[in-house]
Amino acid sequence: MLNYYDPRKDAFSRDLGTPARLSEQQVALTIDGLEISVPEGTSVMRAAALAGITIPKLCATDNLEAFGSCRLCAVQIEGRRGYPASCTTPVAEGMAVTTQNGKLAKLRRNIMELYISDHPLDCLTCPANGDCELQDMAGAVGLREVRYGFEGANHLDAPTDDSNPYFSFDASKCIVCSRCVRACEEVQGTFALTIDGRGFDSKVAAGQDEDFMDSECVSCGACVQACPTSTLMEKSVIDQGVPEHSVVTTCAYCGVGCSFKAEMKGDQLVRMVPYKGGDANHGHSCVKGRFAFGYATHKDRIKTPMIRDSIDEPWREVSWEEAIQFSARRLKEIQARYGRESIGGITSSRCTNEETYLVQKLIRAAFGNNNTDTCARVCHSPTGFGLKTTLGESAGTQTFDSVMKADTILVIGANPTDAHPVFGSQMRRRLRQGATLIVADPRRIDLLKTPHGGRMLHLPLRPGTNVALINSLAHVVVSEGLEDQAFIDARCESGAYQAWRAFILEERNSPEALEAVTGVPADKVREAARAYAEVHNGAIYYGLGVTEHSQGSTMVMGIANLAMATGNIGREGVGVNPLRGQNNVQGSCDMGSFPHELPGYQHVADPAVRDRFEAVWKVKIDDEPGLRIPNMFDSAIAGTFKALYVQGEDIAQSDPNTQHVQAALTSLDCLIVQDIFLNETAKYAHVLLPGSTFLEKNGTFTNAERRINRVRKVMPPVAGKEDWEVTQDLANALGYPMNYSHPSEIMDEIALLTPTFTGVSYAKLEEHGSIQWPCNESHPDGTPTMHEVDFPIGKGHFAVTEYVPTEERTTRRFPLLLTTGRILSQYNVGAQTRRTANSQWHDEDVLEIHPSDAELRGIRDGDWLGVSSRVGHTVLRCRISDRMQPGVVYTTFHHPGSGANVITTDSSDWATNCPEYKVTAVQVEKVSQPSQWQQHFQDFDRRQKDYLENAGADATVNEPAPMGK
Amino acid sequence: MSGQGLEQLVKMVNQISANMHGATDEQAAEKVATHLQKFWARSMKAQILAYADDGGEDLTPISRQAVEKLREVRAAG
Repeated sequence: MLNYYDPRKDAFSRDLGTPARLSEQQVALTIDGLEISVPEGTSVMRAAALAGITIPKLCATDNLEAFGSCRLCAVQIEGRRGYPASCTTPVAEGMAVTTQNGKLAKLRRNIMELYISDHPLDCLTCPANGDCELQDMAGAVGLREVRYGFEGANHLDAPTDDSNPYFSFDASKCIVCSRCVRACEEVQGTFALTIDGRGFDSKVAAGQDEDFMDSECVSCGACVQACPTSTLMEKSVIDQGVPEHSVVTTCAYCGVGCSFKAEMKGDQLVRMVPYKGGDANHGHSCVKGRFAFGYATHKDRIKTPMIRDSIDEPWREVSWEEAIQFSARRLKEIQARYGRESIGGITSSRCTNEETYLVQKLIRAAFGNNNTDTCARVCHSPTGFGLKTTLGESAGTQTFDSVMKADTILVIGANPTDAHPVFGSQMRRRLRQGATLIVADPRRIDLLKTPHGGRMLHLPLRPGTNVALINSLAHVVVSEGLEDQAFIDARCESGAYQAWRAFILEERNSPEALEAVTGVPADKVREAARAYAEVHNGAIYYGLGVTEHSQGSTMVMGIANLAMATGNIGREGVGVNPLRGQNNVQGSCDMGSFPHELPGYQHVADPAVRDRFEAVWKVKIDDEPGLRIPNMFDSAIAGTFKALYVQGEDIAQSDPNTQHVQAALTSLDCLIVQDIFLNETAKYAHVLLPGSTFLEKNGTFTNAERRINRVRKVMPPVAGKEDWEVTQDLANALGYPMNYSHPSEIMDEIALLTPTFTGVSYAKLEEHGSIQWPCNESHPDGTPTMHEVDFPIGKGHFAVTEYVPTEERTTRRFPLLLTTGRILSQYNVGAQTRRTANSQWHDEDVLEIHPSDAELRGIRDGDWLGVSSRVGHTVLRCRISDRMQPGVVYTTFHHPGSGANVITTDSSDWATNCPEYKVTAVQVEKVSQPSQWQQHFQDFDRRQKDYLENAGADATVNEPAPMGK
Repeated sequence: MSGQGLEQLVKMVNQISANMHGATDEQAAEKVATHLQKFWARSMKAQILAYADDGGEDLTPISRQAVEKLREVRAAG
């Protein structure tokens, strides 16, 4: 069933002209005789809109500060002279405003007449026809003639810039209202657009008056959304026309979890428009969520279930029934032969909470073991472990909006402008308001180049020395008396605190002692520690640069220690904030994907917990943890682990030491992959089950701020089933009954069994829009800020964080350190974004290297470079970049053929086995041909694609052959 | 499990021991044992116990103590 959502009934679809003001002081006035009271600082235009009175406007819109350039919104105010612009005039007590009379009407018509004298009159064939504010205003003011004629000097021949793949810029339609320029500055914070020239010559220009694609434009779409005419217009609307209905849903890219209106024509998605009512994004977007949705209808989508006996055979297209029966039979045969623990599954951090919950339930209830894991293993598992140990809950402590109250923002191992762009823009807004920024990162990330930002400190540490750095920061805080003793006494466990304090005060943890380890000058560390601890609100944001290390968990605990020691927990503006990678990483962890925890982080060894689940699931649950992903691989190679069900994750590309992963996958007797494409993992599969995109299903995602957002179906699944239905079919085929008719019923079961979700239901989500867990009896409307009064473990626990250097270190043979990361236009393994025009920004992964390292090796920009580590060798193109420090090289892993993970090793976090992606010792040299692995990859890739293309319904083979590889 | 898998388990337990701290080695070993009991799969625990039975020569002293403690925990449980 499609859930239609009518935006006309929605308060957020109205443009109130200027942004809200939050003053508690109310001001009373009358507008056209109507009495209204609004917060101090509100514009007359917004007050009128709130009173239900619409004042004509062109240059004003409520996500931008008022500008006062079009003068169409002129009003008369009793006792004041002239015709002030209502957008720039704040309300005053007792003010009497008139918005409509003969004089104002004449004035507005005159203004419109001037605008229209230099505007093409092709409304009927214009792509904005029906969705044009200029057209609306011409109607509203009653424009009937243009006395000046159209022959004078004009801009009607101004050229169109079509360089951006998603939108066009038709300068002939521009009214120079500056909304796009202001959106780029105020909303996005890129400052790529400007008004060039003066008076009649003024025009909107990108960068140094160049094409949009050649400028600094990041294609976030804020300008397109702000444009009142068809000047900046989505190409999809130009092609298809204006959408006829829309559905509010949640983006399936990063952990920000933006709300979008999916604007539709029937079941065709025309455009995604960020939804103003979305609490995570407040109407902003990035190039991925806004534009890169074409993958959903890409020709590569898997539309039919397929099976094969061996990965060296072509696929056979079969019915759902046959594919499910084949899978169930294989799984049962393997368990009969190799034991109950010989099979397992991987839940998806891209699928919905309900789907993830169901996969782990399938594994625990139908497989009868705890061999479940998720891709959070390779990204944020240390966050779970570290925060649970110190603060008692495996999640970030704040809302995104909390950053607007932070005085100092400490960003460690995260790159928000690329990986969490919409939150990156919000951060930049706060930096422009004057907050101090500290970045601890081996690379000089773009956040440090925030235009009009305040004080900025960069701590360029050596990869692998995070714990040494956090210890030295904490040493400064304690030794310089910057602790919040009142907070520590009231909120933290005393014994653990004393032990930690004694440890951290040791001279060996001082910045001076650790300077040689981290490479960061001691005085810079001291300056940063003071900048964080001396302000009222210090907030820490971190990413995979913290977790993906051999001491990832230790570092997370070090961050929590620092926040507790300075009292930066439990109110707005502070906190410990992991920036989650994938859309539903938080959710997949919450839903019990880890082998040792049932949903809600409840340990499988706890008999009381198992009792509650067993009563509802009506099955015995194993009391021992199962295998984690890397353990599954090791066991597969050892021959004890034989079958794997993978939903929506591409372990063959995303996991480290690719050749080891490939060996493990090849060792399996049965690999079942459920995905929207033939991903790298599926090339090793025996069963390929078509997945559904977020546009094709109902459910929920949970973002990095614990916000549960609804995902709403806007089109039917291409292969007929939503992902949860497939899991349910598999459970039934295995003899474990599941009978859900809608994901809301799955959520009801989650609420029943998960103490932090007790109050969550689809009805409540409809009512509130979104809910931040915990949501239960003590927090019926959810919990925006965690740990306000106490911690789930009572008192906060300081953990001793001894720095233990990684074993992965540079040698004469491997003298450089490789660190890996992401870029704005591509997402994770790239399976989605590579199938969109986003590839125009990034069509291959490159190796960034510092000029001095390049010079030493005689390397020039664009050369092919062989990159070798102790586990593998690959070849990437060179980009010389001074964002790197000497001795450190960098690449991304968005393209499978680049083999970035062929070189990353099996080193991992001591507590969680989260791989050490961020530190690999490598050597780099000029080469002339692809690596052996890449040649093998190309051959294998070609063969597997042929198997897919030649897949057909083969009637001659009904019974699967005996088990083989 | 083959030699390679076992080697990995030994490496893992030694890494945990290097990162777990207590006032005494005994306390540290206690924490490591709790960690293994809480996070390791049944088959992994069996492997490391069997390895210790065979001498466990590559286990660090704290790891060795921890595995013995794990044995006690499992016998008690």
